[in-house]
Amino acid sequence: MTPVLEIKNVTKNFGGVRAIDDFSVKIEPGKIHGLIGPNGAGKTTIFNNITGILTPCNGTIIFDEKEITGKKPHEIAQYGIGRTFQNIRLFSNLSVLQNVILACSMDAQYNLIDAFIRSPRYRRMEKQISEKAMSLLESVGLDGNCDEIASKLPYGHQRKLEIARAIALNPKLILLDEPAAGMNADESAELVGFILEIKERHEFTVLMIEHHMDVVTNLCDYVTVLNFGKTIASGTPAEVKKNEHVIEAYLGGAEGC
Amino acid sequence: MFLQQLVNGISVGGIYALIASGYALIYSLLGFSNWAHGEVAMLGAYVALLFTASLQLPFIAAAIIGIGGAAIISFLNERLAYRRIRENKAPTMFLMIAAMGLSIVFQNGSMLLFGAKFQKFPPIMPVSSISIGSVHVGVLDLLTLAVAAVALIVLEIVITKTKFGLGIRAIASNTATAGLLGINTNKMFALVFAIAGALAGMAGVLLGLKYNVYPTMGNIGLKAFIASVFGGLGSVRGAIVGAIVIGVTEVMVSGYLSSGLRDLITFALLIIILLIKPSGLMGVSVEEKA
Repeated sequence: MTPVLEIKNVTKNFGGVRAIDDFSVKIEPGKIHGLIGPNGAGKTTIFNNITGILTPCNGTIIFDEKEITGKKPHEIAQYGIGRTFQNIRLFSNLSVLQNVILACSMDAQYNLIDAFIRSPRYRRMEKQISEKAMSLLESVGLDGNCDEIASKLPYGHQRKLEIARAIALNPKLILLDEPAAGMNADESAELVGFILEIKERHEFTVLMIEHHMDVVTNLCDYVTVLNFGKTIASGTPAEVKKNEHVIEAYLGGAEGC
Repeated sequence: MFLQQLVNGISVGGIYALIASGYALIYSLLGFSNWAHGEVAMLGAYVALLFTASLQLPFIAAAIIGIGGAAIISFLNERLAYRRIRENKAPTMFLMIAAMGLSIVFQNGSMLLFGAKFQKFPPIMPVSSISIGSVHVGVLDLLTLAVAAVALIVLEIVITKTKFGLGIRAIASNTATAGLLGINTNKMFALVFAIAGALAGMAGVLLGLKYNVYPTMGNIGLKAFIASVFGGLGSVRGAIVGAIVIGVTEVMVSGYLSSGLRDLITFALLIIILLIKPSGLMGVSVEEKA
């Protein structure tokens, strides 16, 4: 099967620091792919290169059979890559509904004049968009909060809103950056169920960064382990957990034992 | 007398508001004070003057060309200067310094090009004032008021009711995230600069009609800047309210006290507001911007 996303030999330097070193990965469609590794391993840098916030120094990124290396973030979003952040980044001054509507706004096919005279086309589009946004909010269980200001939501709900907003782009691939960050065992168990459910419903592929190993084990079909910008292991979660390089990277060297 | 002064004050405030709302828009998106904004107003006035005085175009046509010219100049400022600085990921301080540079270039450039002397628009109104009962109101003041009100209401609708406005508010909240959600941020910046420029051009033409056209008339941008700080940096509504308060205060002070005290009182008002409410009348607290 052709991969949804293929990263080929990507390298990214920050001055003298090599944050990603000749990194390659293939993400199969419909799968949940985990990206794990100690702090500073380069995981978020990889996300930033995929989404166009950073441009790789070397290598290519192919999404859906099109090369996206060096494209602008909004172009990449329009190709169909959505993303969430480790530290939630909602538009904190906008309402819950507006946060989602904004991400749907690419669907809007009206111009300023339509908006001014409130033409039938404008009203039809607006209705369509707010219905889509509402149904997305419903699918993440936030339809009751649609008029609240986003920053007033409890933390777990903010995560869900951020995911709903990413789905509003109609993405083929969603990048989740530590979705379980700051959650306890119960909350992360609920998150696992939630991600599986919305993935079924909206049919996208997931690439996720996560530190909670139980979340990774329960969700991921495949895991790539990163340390100092290099892949040190890859395989199913069970295979990776037994890998000695991985144990060494997380727990330090085993000398003396 | 009082009503007359009030109308005059609101109309001066309307001119400030046209410039201040552009300041606020640009500040809310890019987090810097566009010091060249007053000069954009000045250039708009000169373009209109050129078309009406030298090319004998009807005033309305010349005014529209002036407003369009200001929009293009403002757009070019962003396209040629600010965008490059942004893309180099330079600190926003650099943007402000570039804006100061542009301001100096525009002021001195127009002094070379048009000369330093005051110039006047040919009279456009058959009468200069009308009387309602015992109150005499300047026709120009009423015109200014009407134009400013319409322009600002349209701006408000664009910001609150359209997807374009939602995009502006999203970029103001977080530029990078807005880009990741498919918003072409560069295009939005270009549009916002053009809109702000058009509003400034309008202010320039109105100001030129009311007083004169001269190379340093862009210094009025300072008053508009105070208005936008007064109302809360980055808040368009705040800028409009601030501008009207300052316009009315200035006219009242010059009318009843002394025109020498005008600026003193304006700045004192600014200091008082900043002491009581540091984020301005309608500003968001500074921490949220970080």
